[in-house]
Amino acid sequence: MARIELRNVVKRYGAVEVLRDINLDVEDGEFIVLVGPSGCGKSTLLRMIAGLEPITAGDFMIDDIRMNDVRPRDRDIAMVFQSYALYPHMDVARNMGFSMEIRKDPATERASRVKQAADTLGLTALTERLPKALSGGQRQRVAMGRAIIRDPRAFLFDEPLSNLDAALRVEMRLEIARLHQKLGATMIYVTHDQVEALTLADRIVVLNGGDIQQVGSPLDLYERPANKFVAQFIGSPTMNLVPIKGRPEGVTLADGALLKLPHLPDSPDAIELGIRPEHIEVTDQGDLSGIADVVEHLGSDTNIYLNVEKLGPLMVRKHGNIPIRPGERVGLRIQPENVHLFAPDGSALRRASPNMAA
Amino acid sequence: MTTRSQAIDVSGETRARRSLYWQYMVEPFLYLSPAIVLIGTVMLIPLIVGISYSFQAIELLNPFNTGWVGLENYQQLWSDRKFWIALENTFWWTFWSISFQFLLGLGLAMLLNTQFYGKKLFQALVFLPWAVPTFLSALTWAWLFNPVIGPLPHWMVALGILSEPYNIMGDPEIAMWGPIVANIWFGVPFFAITLLAALQSIPSELYEAAEIDGASAWQTFTKITLPFLAPMIAITVMLRTIWIANFADLIYVMTGGGPANSTQIVSSYIFTTAFRKLDFGYASAIAVALLFILLIYAVILLWLRKKLVKI
Ligand SMILES: Nc1ncnc2c1ncn2[C@@H]1O[C@H](COP(=O)(O)OP(=O)(O)OP(=O)(O)O)[C@@H](O)[C@H]1O
Ligand SMILES: [Mg+2]
Repeated sequence: MARIELRNVVKRYGAVEVLRDINLDVEDGEFIVLVGPSGCGKSTLLRMIAGLEPITAGDFMIDDIRMNDVRPRDRDIAMVFQSYALYPHMDVARNMGFSMEIRKDPATERASRVKQAADTLGLTALTERLPKALSGGQRQRVAMGRAIIRDPRAFLFDEPLSNLDAALRVEMRLEIARLHQKLGATMIYVTHDQVEALTLADRIVVLNGGDIQQVGSPLDLYERPANKFVAQFIGSPTMNLVPIKGRPEGVTLADGALLKLPHLPDSPDAIELGIRPEHIEVTDQGDLSGIADVVEHLGSDTNIYLNVEKLGPLMVRKHGNIPIRPGERVGLRIQPENVHLFAPDGSALRRASPNMAA
Repeated sequence: MTTRSQAIDVSGETRARRSLYWQYMVEPFLYLSPAIVLIGTVMLIPLIVGISYSFQAIELLNPFNTGWVGLENYQQLWSDRKFWIALENTFWWTFWSISFQFLLGLGLAMLLNTQFYGKKLFQALVFLPWAVPTFLSALTWAWLFNPVIGPLPHWMVALGILSEPYNIMGDPEIAMWGPIVANIWFGVPFFAITLLAALQSIPSELYEAAEIDGASAWQTFTKITLPFLAPMIAITVMLRTIWIANFADLIYVMTGGGPANSTQIVSSYIFTTAFRKLDFGYASAIAVALLFILLIYAVILLWLRKKLVKI
């Protein structure tokens, strides 16, 4: 169990600043998910917490003790590497039990823990194989097994499920959630998968270009993104952005139509409006209309890609199967309570009340 | 109708089989024949000729008494005290040379695998002995061990190894250590280079994973580094053993096999027999004996390697 704190943490490789002024408090037993585009420094941050990468500046603390210069093996943190890092000369069982082998735990206890972990991860039949005889997904699970066999203060996962097929991914996701519930250990988890992030996280940390963009609960990030980047990064399909003119009582769209937004008092400063595809209604009495360009039927949902005159492309997602054909004219209504407004610098504008959006 | 088609089938099949046989069994060797002929002439024929010498009497000092003598050379070898002494000397010469070369080479390689100031220069210096001609290093070391012009005997006295400064290569008890020391100096770079290459091929993330798993430096070395180096160690130790067992240059220049045959190894004995006593038949018999001993050694080591190495 551990509380992890990062205070003004900076990482530089020579002149390249990879992470800037990172501040983050991770509560004991919390599940934190790090998301961000490729190359934004997620792995680097994780490696600094593990102790594999020196921290250039700032303080890193576990349970209020400064840990910047403590060696990895004294931090008592388990990590699942993005590249697995399995020992190629050891079979699966020995790979998983390596930390216990190092601690010289009794062989019988080690064997039973390995067996238990292998059962959990569906690796029972493979314990005698060498890593080179495993598929990517199996290797990934061995790497997971190596971490969960220990009883560390905190777990670090670097995209642990990226190589699994969809079904296995769901299964492992549930397994990780169960593990977190059972152990109550602090976990920091890197992923590119929105669903994983939104379902597993107590809080999500959005990184971009070496800065923390926003920290918050999944719902927070979805409903109240702090800026345009978070708004577009969180949620799938991506939020639509439309250029607008801010007015005291709302905004005017490019075609001149006025959209009243009483809950957004800062609207005069806005230059862009964000609306999620699921927050646009298909209706005949809408304030807009567009020509359907492509229609995707997903079974449970329908994605409609539209072209709206003067506004540009818009995407709409509707639940269920909507009988719209490409080329048809579709009337649209933007739900005013779900509109986000962005200032020229990309930051989101203040809302009148935090509960308006619900 | 059916019978006819069957007949055609059968003959077609055998023809096909014959052409298959031709295509897969004979034809490839025709393409390979230039290489086979070349390898045969440069490798196999000298070997066969050499082995056949060992069954003949060929003494240049006794030119009228030549011809096949069967196993006579080998019988003589079996009861030759000098041969057995040389064999024992070869063992110790090879064993100590290899052990020190390997351990020092491994240490150097591990050192060179870290980062420190002036590493490039140090690396160049380490690899230098490898480039020095054997003859030159043998002479230099002979001088270094000479108490009249070399400092080593005096240092050894200061360290309490010797009671007074004399030339260790004049003392039959310890004369072998002269060439061994020179050989260690000469051979360390080889191990350092090859083991460094092997060390650099170990993915760094394995060390990171081991560190996270809580391994100490020693545990990392024994459980990660050594298993990874094992194939390279087996192969280099084998090659070097064979090479050193055959390597008489240093001994020949530094001690000439003396005093009293105390530094005579099998290969220097072959050399003296062939070119001093001019007895080629007997020299060939010794050479064949050495060949078999080294072959057995190589087979054992290769078998061990296969047993131990999993990657
Ligand atoms: N040794 C290094 N020297 C210089 N720059 C480096 C070094 N290691 C990493 N970087 C840079 O640091 C940045 C962050 O890398 P990092 O591996 O943390 O990205 P990431 O967020 O994990 O990306 P991904 O999602 O692709 O795994 C990258 O832009 C990378 O180029
Ligand atoms: Mg990464």
